[in-house]
Amino acid sequence: MDRATVAIVLLIVHGLVAVALLGAITHQTLSTWAPARARPGSFFGRFRTVPSAAFTNAVIVLYSVTATLGAIVYLYFRVDVRPALEQAGRWELLGFFDLKEHFIVIGLALLPAYLVCWRQPREEPTRTRTAVTSILAFIVWWGFLVGHVINNIKGFGA
Amino acid sequence: MTFRPAFRRFAFAFGTSFAVLYVLALAKKLALFTVYPSLGIVLWGTHRPRDVVDPALGFLAPAMYWYGWAATAALGALVVGLLAAAMPKRWVRWIWLGWLWVVPALAMLGCVYFTLPWFGLNP
Repeated sequence: MDRATVAIVLLIVHGLVAVALLGAITHQTLSTWAPARARPGSFFGRFRTVPSAAFTNAVIVLYSVTATLGAIVYLYFRVDVRPALEQAGRWELLGFFDLKEHFIVIGLALLPAYLVCWRQPREEPTRTRTAVTSILAFIVWWGFLVGHVINNIKGFGA
Repeated sequence: MTFRPAFRRFAFAFGTSFAVLYVLALAKKLALFTVYPSLGIVLWGTHRPRDVVDPALGFLAPAMYWYGWAATAALGALVVGLLAAAMPKRWVRWIWLGWLWVVPALAMLGCVYFTLPWFGLNP
């Protein structure tokens, strides 16, 4: 496979894993924020019936894989995509993308603490667990949306 | 599954200190190594392009610091985490657990601050 094909394959796999991560972390976050006495059968009531802790391992694995693939794809982005965006003067997009990289790596370092919070729910305060999970959810959503827009940038105004 | 208290202390200290150290690495441009993806070269430390004859060469051989900043922060956080793990439990009992999410949140705001120039805003 040539360089461009490898980059496209990695980018697609990166995106697919990110979608799975987005689903898992969103489900877990909403279940932590949903009221404990949500009406059974309601939207939040159904979220509450799924054990939130069950998503923990999946989130950690998916986040790690997504971040690793993203770190590899970032090399192609820097060489093949970013110069074009710089020449086009799309500095704000590069700023959003830089923030994505910063946030992702901060979230990556939070994963061990996130694991402890969810594996020892009786020993850790609920607020800490909810806050850490929410931060990770924000990072994942930010990364997904910015990555998606950057990926489709040629479709805007082209 | 329950973790040993030492791992818990390590995990909490690692996540928190990484966030602080990453922002410091970003602010001070302290990359453990610099990557030149188009050349396939990795150099120790922070290397800035010093080409004054033809700055356009920066397009041909762009430098990447993100990996180096993350490595710098990870190395420092590893040391802090190991120190925290080695500490007696009574020494760290008084530390507020909220720092675990407050510090990363503040670090993210710090990253926003250092990214403002991209949006045409001078901090």
